[in-house]
Order: sequence, then structure tokens, then C-alpha cells
Amino acid sequence: MIRPVLARRERVLPAVQAFAFLVGIVVALALGLILLWTSGHNPAEVYERMFDSAFMGTDSLSRTLERATPLALTGLSVAVAGSMGLWNIGAEGQMMAGAIVATGVAMMADGLSGPLLIALMIVAGVAGGMVLMVGPALARSHLGVSEIITTLMLVYVAIRVVEWLETGPWKDPESFGFAVIEPVPEQAALPGLFGRANIGMLIALGLLIVFWLAVSRTAWGYELRLAGSSPNTARYAGVSLRRKILTALLLSGGIAGLAGAVQLTGSAARLESGLSNGYGFAGIIVAALALMRPSGVAVVAFVFGAVQVGGQSIQTLGVSSAISDILQAMILFGALVAAVFFNYRIRWTGPAADSSGDQSEEPEEPEPAEDAA
Amino acid sequence: MAKKLLLKLLVVVATITLIAVGCGNDDDDAAPAEPAPAPATEAPAPATEAPAPEPEPEPTEAPMDDEVIAAFVFVGPVGDAGWTWAHDQGRRYAESETGATTLFVESVPEVAEDFRAVVVDFIENEGADVIFATSFGYIDPMEELAGEYPDVVFEHASGFKMNDTNFGNYFGRMYQPRYLSGMAAGAVTEANQIGYVAAFPIPEVLRGINAFTLGAQRVNPDVEVHVTWTSTWFDPAVEGDSAAALIEAGADVIAMHQDSTAPGLAAQEAGARWVSYNSDMSAFAPDAFVTAPVWNWGPYYTRIIDAVAAGTYSPGAYWGGMDDEIVALAPLAADVPADVAADIDAVAASMVDGSWDVFTGEIRDQDGNVVVAAGETMDDGSMLGMTFFVEGVVGNASP
Repeated sequence: MIRPVLARRERVLPAVQAFAFLVGIVVALALGLILLWTSGHNPAEVYERMFDSAFMGTDSLSRTLERATPLALTGLSVAVAGSMGLWNIGAEGQMMAGAIVATGVAMMADGLSGPLLIALMIVAGVAGGMVLMVGPALARSHLGVSEIITTLMLVYVAIRVVEWLETGPWKDPESFGFAVIEPVPEQAALPGLFGRANIGMLIALGLLIVFWLAVSRTAWGYELRLAGSSPNTARYAGVSLRRKILTALLLSGGIAGLAGAVQLTGSAARLESGLSNGYGFAGIIVAALALMRPSGVAVVAFVFGAVQVGGQSIQTLGVSSAISDILQAMILFGALVAAVFFNYRIRWTGPAADSSGDQSEEPEEPEPAEDAA
Repeated sequence: MAKKLLLKLLVVVATITLIAVGCGNDDDDAAPAEPAPAPATEAPAPATEAPAPEPEPEPTEAPMDDEVIAAFVFVGPVGDAGWTWAHDQGRRYAESETGATTLFVESVPEVAEDFRAVVVDFIENEGADVIFATSFGYIDPMEELAGEYPDVVFEHASGFKMNDTNFGNYFGRMYQPRYLSGMAAGAVTEANQIGYVAAFPIPEVLRGINAFTLGAQRVNPDVEVHVTWTSTWFDPAVEGDSAAALIEAGADVIAMHQDSTAPGLAAQEAGARWVSYNSDMSAFAPDAFVTAPVWNWGPYYTRIIDAVAAGTYSPGAYWGGMDDEIVALAPLAADVPADVAADIDAVAASMVDGSWDVFTGEIRDQDGNVVVAAGETMDDGSMLGMTFFVEGVVGNASP
């Protein structure tokens, strides 16, 4: 029986990948026309609003960047683990853990000056994210327990802890019995850049550059990718897999925790159970679209942020949230499908092909990460 | 292979783009043919319903300034029933009563960036004059936006923040119809055990459970209300399972505080009865349905929109009851005994005329301590901060 298999292309130029990304989005927008048309909207008007609200003017741009910031951080979090072939599905929970610890620090040290307090809260955020990752990381490195399951399950633990804090020990006494935690001290608000964009954006950008260099240009990064793609080779070369798994996962958790702290001091007013807002899960899509490369995360996060802002905005035109969600999903899916087609080719295997041992699911080669930006 | 694929993609894109361009042009051509809305004259009275005869065809592209545009931010989808559906019914009612234009966006997450994006679009692009935000979690960004847009009125359902000029909050005394629904439940239970699928241990929910229990005890002093917490506002799986577990443990009537119909479906399947919430959900489990305490936001929305149109709006912390019709009881099931139904009517009447309210003593808490002395009535502050369960509730008020 002849069946198709995906085989990775030998070498794909960054420009081609960027082009693939664009083609995917354009195809999705074209298909979206049918959706909008058949649901009784004027596609031209809807797309114009989508574009304007995401890009036109500093205010719009700042909204896109405000969303791109947590997406870039959670995307980077997933990508750091992903560059070693590990899946951190729980960035959503690590974000929460980071925000919880950062809030705790703010409560204990609310007399500090702004910059000092913010710095402390951000360090606390990183620590919080890492703490939530300690269990999954150790279980993976020493017992081989799948990190996919453990990181995912801890998401709900983290959210439940926030709910408990809201209704219990951290309930704001001035909230008239409502279950809310007291707001973050005013001086702990991240300084703004323009519109809704704050310096959290620069933190994210800086971190992306650091990890891009670290993963693609250092021996550490090479070992990380090697350990992910061919563990045996790595072991033979004297790389400690356990330590690599621990580092990659803890860093991944720490970055997601940082995203929580940035969100807390940036856009949110206080710790609440909705703070992570799906950014952690969206980070998985961001990282996948960026092919697990820090360099791609920046671009994808920006586009993802724009899609979210645009998708939200067209609803005030009367487009239902369901249509908007479908449209957003189509755009992301289009980009993903295009990325697959441009990075892999379909190969038809003949009837003689042995099912075992062929490279149908060829593991990622340790090729150097290219700058897609 | 790749070239072929690329070619195919491009063909698809090109074709669809062509179709789209054609479609877009059609719409552009059609647009000027639409009759321009008549610019109403600056009248101090609430918006007149009849469109004024067009004085001069002024082709202004901006929406008219003196017709009120009211925009609603909903936390969930409107759907067929429940919290957001009830708000949307209110929106429709107010639109037909006032002639105002109303807009809404569904499923807006309770986070600053989402809420802000929607509201800023409403104000800047659609010219909204009044924003109704219908979930508690919008409270912080709402306060900020009220400061940033002093000319726009902000009204927040279930919140506690406000200012002196353009930001108020509103809610209803749901505990009153809760009490009435408790009376109906107390009458139909045969096991004298009612299960209450509770959301979060906050005063609003505790108040509802206590009122419901007091109502049930009024018609059936032996009744017990067993509470389980779901920590959800809408999660059909969890809420249905909780209802099933309560029924398993002996309850034959289920009450709830969440927004799903799952407890009703669980009750119907087990042959038990059901008191729904937010809106009349009888269609979802007709055999189980007893009644429901429901929201009726329309009159309040109408008043606010009228006040905004007349320029007489001033913010408040509104907490209306049965007397204002913002809360009500859904129709009773046919098997609620006639004497109980008559009693429910009488109690409702006493709530409407203000001669009696639910938390009137003597009321004891779970431990037997008197919390409201005989002849006294609890003040609003104590009701809003309620943290205890009354006698007869089985469960933990601070889990």
C-alpha cells in the first residue's frame, strides 16, 4: 500500500519560512472571506477594522504589543523546552505560580520603592515558575515520567491555589466580602512606553535575544539541541542528559513564571484566577509556529497578538465571538499548515517499505537555528 | 511538488480574492442607497421613538450625536438561557423601550487587556455613550476607563466600585426570589433533603443558600439543605456530577448557583426535582423543573439609557429587589400545592410593599447562635458581607 509520509526538507531558508507564514495567513484570510460573507458581514469592512485596530496608529500598535509580550514570553518558555524535544504544556500554570509568588513579595515588601519592588517581584516570578516545574523536571529527568502530563496537571493546581487565596488568606478586607486579592501596590506598575505598551515588552525582547544567542550560538545550546535530537550521540559525547533536561525544564518554567510577574505588574491590577488568560496555552502555538526557535517566537508572538486584538475588535462591529474565534483559529492554523508544507515534503512510500525503522517521523536534526526574523 | 503546491495555493488565493473584491464592491455600491438615519433634534426628553421627518439631508459620516448608543460587554455567549442570556433580554427590552441603538460583544474574558480593547472600540469606533459591563471581574479596568472617558457612562453589574460622575454599579436582591424558590422546593421534597450545588464561598452565594433554606423551612421545618462547592460559575461536567452526587446521597431536589443546565439534566435523569437559576430553564428539564429565581434587567437598563439621553444620569450603587422587578420568580411547576403557591404570592407581595424581608429574626446560624434577634431585620451591610450558614444548612461556609 502506498502511503504518504512527511519528510523534513534538507534546508529551508529563513526567507522561505517567513514567506510560508505569510502565505498561510493570506490563504486563511481568503477562506475567512467565505465565512464572513456567508454569515452576513462585509468582509472588506471586517478586515479593515481588524487591520486598523491591530496596526494603525500608536494606540492600536501598543495594544498588539501589550498582548504580544506575554505571548512572546510563554512562547519562549515552550520553545526553550522544545529545543530539546521536551513539551512544557503547563506554562499557563507556571505563569500563575510566578504571579502568586510575586504577589506574596509585593505584600511583604510594599514599602519599597518602585524599581526595587518590581525587580524583586520579577525575580520572585521566575522563582515561582521554577518551583512549579521542579516536580515535573525531576520526574522527567530521573524517572522518565512524561512532562506533558505533569506540567499540564499542575496548571489546575496553580489556578486552584489562586482561587483559594482569593477566598481565603489573601482576601482583600476592603472588598465588601467579594473574593478578590488586594491590588498590587501602585509603585509596582511597570513603567509605560507608549499607549498600552510597557517595558515588559523590552524585557521579553531582551530575553528572546539572550536565548536566541544561547540556543543557536553557544556550546550549551548545541548540547541542548543535540540531547533532544539524538540522546545517544549526546550521551556518547559526554553530555549529561539528566542535567540538560533539568536545566531546560527549569528555565522553561522560570520564563513562564516571569511572564506571570510581567503580566501582574504590567496589564493586571491584581492577582486573580483569570490572570494567565490562556497566554500559557497560546504559548504552545506560538512556539510551534516558530518551530521552537527563540528567533521566530518574536515574530509569531507579534502576529498572534495582532490576530487577537483584531479578532476582539471586529466583535464590536457585530461579528459574533464564535465567528471571530473561528477566524482567529483559521489564521493560526493556516500559518501552521503552511509552515509544515514548507518545512517538510510529502514522500510516497512504496508497498515494499518496511513499517519499522523508516524515518517517517524523522526526529529533528540538530541543524543550527536560523534567524527567521 | 513544492512548486505545484505553491501554484495551487496562489490560484486559490487569487480566485477567492477576486470573489471578495466583487463582493466588497457590491457592498460599497449598496451603502449609499441606505436611508441615512434622521438626525434627531436636541431634545431634553428621553429619545423619541418616532423618527423625526428628515429636516435636511446632511451627509455626515459620523453617527448622530444625540441618539444614545448603549454597549454591553458580556462575559459568556448569549446562548439560550442563563446569566448572559438574561442580560441580553434586558438589552433587547431596553432597545425597544428607548429606541436607543444597542451593541454587544460576547465572551469577553475578565482581564484588563480584553475588556479595555472592547470598550475602547465601542467608544472610539462606535460612539458608545454608555457601557454596561456584566461581570464582576471587569471591575479594575472599568474604574480606569471611567477616569479616561469622563463623557461616557459606565455601569457595572455586581461590582462595588463607583465614582461621583460617570461610574455606577448595579445588582439585585436575588435572595428574595431565592427565598420564594426555597418555599417551592420545601413543598415538593419528599426526602426532606435538598442538594445545593454552590459556586464559590462568597457572600452573594451564602446569602442565596441561606435565603433558600429559610424559605424551604417556612413550609417544611424538617428540611435540610446539603451544600457542595464546585468552584465554578459555568462548568457543566463538574456541576452535573455534583448534582448527581447530592442525589446519590439522598437529596430529591437540586438547587444551584451556576449558569449551566447540567444539574437539571442530572436531576431529571435521576427522577429528582430542580430549581434553576438566572433564567427560566424549564425547557431543558421539564419534568424536573420546579421554579427558578430569575433576573430581569430590562427595566433598569431602560431607566439608565433614558437618564443618559436626558442628561440626568448620576451614578449610584443600585441594589433593587422584587419591588423594582429586577429579580423575580419563574412560573411554578404544576405540582406545587395550591396553598404553598398562594403563600408564595403573599410573601412576594410583602417583599414588594416592603413590609417584610427575608433576613428577619429570629435567625440562628449553624452553631445555634442567634445572628438576627426576633423582630429585627438584617441591614444591607451585614447581608452584603454574609459569611455564615443558617441552621438547617449542612456544609461548610468557609471551605
